[in-house]
Amino acid sequence: MFDEIKKEYINLMNNEKLPYIKCKSCGNVFFYPRDYCPKCNSKNLEVKVSKGDGKVFSITKFQGKKGDTYYGIVEMDEGFRIYSNIKNSLEIGDKVTVEFIEENGRKIPIFKGLSGT
Amino acid sequence: MITGFAGLTYKKFEGSTFQLLSDVVYNAMEMASVNSNDIDGLFFTMLSGTFDGKANIHFPSFQIPAFLGIKPRYIDIVDYGGPSALTMVYRAEKLVNSGEIDTALCIVGGKGSFLRENKVTADSVDKFYNISLTPFDEFFRVYEDMNPVTDYALVAKRHQKLFGTTDEQRAMIAVNQRKNAINNEKSLYKSPLSVKDVISSRLVSDPLRLLEIVYPVDGFHAFIVSKHQRNSNLRPLKIHFYGEAHWAEMPPELPDIVYTPTIESSKGVSLEKIDAFELYDSFTITVLLEIEDIGLTEKGKGGKFVEEKDTTFKGEIPINTGGGSLNVGQPAFMSGGVILEEALSQLNGMAKGHQVEGANRVLVNGIGGWNRGHAVTMVLGE
Repeated sequence: MFDEIKKEYINLMNNEKLPYIKCKSCGNVFFYPRDYCPKCNSKNLEVKVSKGDGKVFSITKFQGKKGDTYYGIVEMDEGFRIYSNIKNSLEIGDKVTVEFIEENGRKIPIFKGLSGT
Repeated sequence: MITGFAGLTYKKFEGSTFQLLSDVVYNAMEMASVNSNDIDGLFFTMLSGTFDGKANIHFPSFQIPAFLGIKPRYIDIVDYGGPSALTMVYRAEKLVNSGEIDTALCIVGGKGSFLRENKVTADSVDKFYNISLTPFDEFFRVYEDMNPVTDYALVAKRHQKLFGTTDEQRAMIAVNQRKNAINNEKSLYKSPLSVKDVISSRLVSDPLRLLEIVYPVDGFHAFIVSKHQRNSNLRPLKIHFYGEAHWAEMPPELPDIVYTPTIESSKGVSLEKIDAFELYDSFTITVLLEIEDIGLTEKGKGGKFVEEKDTTFKGEIPINTGGGSLNVGQPAFMSGGVILEEALSQLNGMAKGHQVEGANRVLVNGIGGWNRGHAVTMVLGE
């Protein structure tokens, strides 16, 4: 089951869609795939696709391999949060939208600021 | 009771990890007036890669007793980083009190220099050895980060945003700890430090700067807990309070990242009559979070607290009286031994040059594990 969820995640991401899991028993939403809800332990889960919009929960800048690199936690409109690299310099609370980049032959989500930032 | 302790830290130790380990253990045994035949309980922690650069020594529960010549009846490995040293002493005390063992040896440390020279941090050791830390690694460890610095930077950034905490306020923590470090013979850094020095040091991960970040060193700490005081001159100290809490969630899944499990591990502790606080100081922000989570001030007011209170060893609320690991260094990426050793030095009047007058009760708080997952709060006193 866990492997199936992971496979579904990878498929969705390779098609440039951001997956998340919703627990049909308690309504908990989360990103990191598990086959039991970490909140209520239900197995009644559903993989869903996010609209891709969210806002910066926190962000930091450091000198990465290619210069200034932004890394942060993004809070999605659906209520779950994920770690990610972020494309540009943003403030906490700024709106972002998901994009996909290729990394080791797989697509992974990263975020960019919406309008003007 | 704790009848012996020792610690040795080096920027870089040229000999083997085991040589360094035995130097420390035999120093602690000498203070406790015991030898290896007396040890019947062994507690230890180790971080992958800090024993002569090997990912794991094969069955450390064979290698460590064999090397030290001890034959424990009881072995316990406590592996949640920073607070492990505190937990080992607590568990050893319980087993001694129950009569299961007589004398325990607790060990924490290793050689951080091998990893540092290979540009590996405690959180990136998985990438170096091609192992996986969590089942979700492939969904978030594909990103470029600089953990644990970037993780704590995210906390510091959010703390700033939510509560208006300033870089200068965090810098005050480093400045006051340096004042404490100046006369501590164990300290690596002894030159005076100003707020300006801290905030003009290199920005490592916004907003954290170089002088707010602990330096990984080579070193060990050893603690002997025994039923017998023998010729030990240490005060017969008791553990007056002990609490531990483990928050295993990844930070994105926590209700917020500006809290640590200290808020839970310190629940019910009395802050009255505490003469010194030894708070885990991997970063300045770690200390700030603990000040709030222990309840020295309310959440969000830590910045103001460090601005207004004198936290030096001569001050009204002494914090990290020996300079903390920011100045002593962090052996094997775990500072629990550093803060516990300082607490014991204070309580036994051995803190030369930085002694808090009449120190009778010390609160020690450890934070550890990947992404601040663990906390232990302990109060030691006679």
